[in-house]
Amino acid sequence: MATVDLSQFHKTFFEESLEGLDAMEAALLALDSGSADHELVHTIFRAAHSIKGGAATFGFADVAAFTHVAESLLEEVRSGRRAVDAGLTDLLLRSVDCLRAMLARTARGQPVADAASEALRIELTQLVAGEAAPAPAAAQAGATAVDGWDIRFVGLPHLLRSGHEPLRLFRELQQLGRLEVLRAFVGDAVAADFSTLDPGECHLGWELRLHGAVARPDLDAVFEWLDGDCELAIAPLAAVEPVAPSPEPAVAAPAAAREASAAGHADGGSIRVGIDKVDALIDMMGELVITQSMLNDIGANFDLSQLERLREGLAQLERNTRELQDSVMRIRMLPIGTVFNRFPRLVRDLERKLGKQVKLELHGEHTELDKTVLEKIGDPMVHLVRNAIDHGLELPRQRRAAGKPEAGTLRLDAHHEGGNIVVRISDDGAGLNHERIRAKAVERGLVPPDQPLGDDEIAALIFEPGFSTAAQATDLSGRGVGMDVVRRNVRDLGGSVGVKSVAGQGSVFTIALPLTLAIIDGLVTAVGGERYIVPLISIVESLRLPADAVRRTAGGGEVFRFRDEYLPVIRLHRAFGCADAVTEIGRGIVVVVEDGGQRVGLLVDELVGQQQAVIKSLEKHYRQVQGVSGATIVSDGSVALIVDVGGVVRLGRCSGKAA
Amino acid sequence: MAGKRAAKRDGEQMVGDAAVRLPPDCRLGALSALHAELVAALPGGAVELDGSQVERVDTAALQLLVLLCRELDRRGGTLAWRGSSAALDEAAGLLGVAKILELPAAGPA
Repeated sequence: MATVDLSQFHKTFFEESLEGLDAMEAALLALDSGSADHELVHTIFRAAHSIKGGAATFGFADVAAFTHVAESLLEEVRSGRRAVDAGLTDLLLRSVDCLRAMLARTARGQPVADAASEALRIELTQLVAGEAAPAPAAAQAGATAVDGWDIRFVGLPHLLRSGHEPLRLFRELQQLGRLEVLRAFVGDAVAADFSTLDPGECHLGWELRLHGAVARPDLDAVFEWLDGDCELAIAPLAAVEPVAPSPEPAVAAPAAAREASAAGHADGGSIRVGIDKVDALIDMMGELVITQSMLNDIGANFDLSQLERLREGLAQLERNTRELQDSVMRIRMLPIGTVFNRFPRLVRDLERKLGKQVKLELHGEHTELDKTVLEKIGDPMVHLVRNAIDHGLELPRQRRAAGKPEAGTLRLDAHHEGGNIVVRISDDGAGLNHERIRAKAVERGLVPPDQPLGDDEIAALIFEPGFSTAAQATDLSGRGVGMDVVRRNVRDLGGSVGVKSVAGQGSVFTIALPLTLAIIDGLVTAVGGERYIVPLISIVESLRLPADAVRRTAGGGEVFRFRDEYLPVIRLHRAFGCADAVTEIGRGIVVVVEDGGQRVGLLVDELVGQQQAVIKSLEKHYRQVQGVSGATIVSDGSVALIVDVGGVVRLGRCSGKAA
Repeated sequence: MAGKRAAKRDGEQMVGDAAVRLPPDCRLGALSALHAELVAALPGGAVELDGSQVERVDTAALQLLVLLCRELDRRGGTLAWRGSSAALDEAAGLLGVAKILELPAAGPA
């Protein structure tokens, strides 16, 4: 008999469950902030319900058992038998964290239930069993704590054929408490003769005893689907003293959340795409097919009179291809809201922890960016948000003294700016303490004591490695391993991060990121017979220098004056060894590029034009080359190398230092 | 390890030449064939089972074995095990039929 291998659906289950938990969390936070919306409760209940169903289907018994208890609790809320209070949302939020961690462990094939999850499950169970308001249905037993149940369960003949498996049922019961089989027996209806019996008919019955403070609804839920397939009798063992509430279990919520997100990222192999994006692709394919058949038609019996039609066809083909490219790239684009969504929870937890009040404003959640960028921008943003709340926003009493509202405002804002996405994290807190930063920088030897620095320059110092002014390192931030890591992460994505701050009014951190890592806007330049592409994001200016504007330094280096500073000139033809290139400065073009605040001038023959370049890895196809970040294919079909501005700048600094 | 032992009923050791082998996937789909084999083995009075290969087992299979025991009891025959896998022991223990089948109960039943 063919059996379906359910493991192929596991990944989808995990993805959907994590999404469900996100939805639960968002709804719980909304409930927490006072909106007693029935729809929110429904959302939470539905999410829990489908996670339970999925987990049970796939045999993740621990997850199913845990969700089941949470669901019972939610059912009471949904039916109005239990009021929502801060304690309840807190418990449910902790359950969400716990489930995330459990799912992560399930996905990794590790033991799913641990001490924390068991403690939480018991806490939930006791809440449901011990405190449930008397309800008509559960009145006889559900309302009081019991120390177990006697169950008589006899399968009807068609039980097994209907797909019910007592083994699975017993395992579920084991999840609720200690299961004891008092007696297993064979029913009377079975054929007397062994040789004529039907092995598919069920003739077994059991007398079971389930030990533990199990709520009646939980028990009923196990047998929920067996209606009409078995004879069932359930009786409480004996009423006992209400169970004392268990001590508050240690909850490592952030750790659990991290664990889960790490697992989620570990195999980011799939992406959910809106159906409209797929439809757009199909449309585009249709157009492409039409164009192709038209060109085929022309090619089949071509004569010169059709030249115009051929041109038209080719132009159409080009348009189709470009649109197709756009659409395919768009598939990788996801709204930044998926990252923003984790902040309400973070902010709520930090508020509690630090005794601060924070009003979180989110703007531009729908701004889309590449999935790869999206996945990597989360951690730096979390860091900045933590910093803003920990160091930026003041305590309510300090704010009152400063004449500000007690609740600080933290604003996250995302929007497109040219080919970039710009994310701003702004707070109305105390702002950076420029004096202290300066003093610290001097103490660390980052700047000479007498160097005049503007506020922005001082602010930029916080991104230097090993810099931290926090008088007392908290466990949130301020261990001196913060901002430089943020800057490095953002730079790895080809972006930049900056800060502006006004004392007493707050700070604004700005992260600028390329929309995608796969395509860059570049300036195509010619050097000798070669084409080099300089990423547009790095270019400050392109200029033609008079020959006498360049001065030689003692070591043989060349510098020129640009605005208020002298910049080294890097002759690309020399750096990359190109023959037949322009060597006279006066006849070439100098492209001023910037990386990490350092500028150099690149000498090229001429500018060819702007182009979007699809980055192909050079490393994969050849090997790593210093000063080159990748290759692409330009419009005439030839290969052009993409200049790694950071690498080239470093090259320039080295030769500058040698000078 | 559990399972490598012979159980006897009437004090006499009855080990036949050919044991009935329970298939690795010992579930409803495999049971009509197994049932036929067991029926064929019954007249000898002593049935020996080899459960060492069992990887998956369901209630229907365990029920068939319980019914086999009942039949053997009725006829005064004996059941012996040439081996049983952990999966078989666990399932029998969970369903509370390990004693009837004279298998070691692995589950907490």
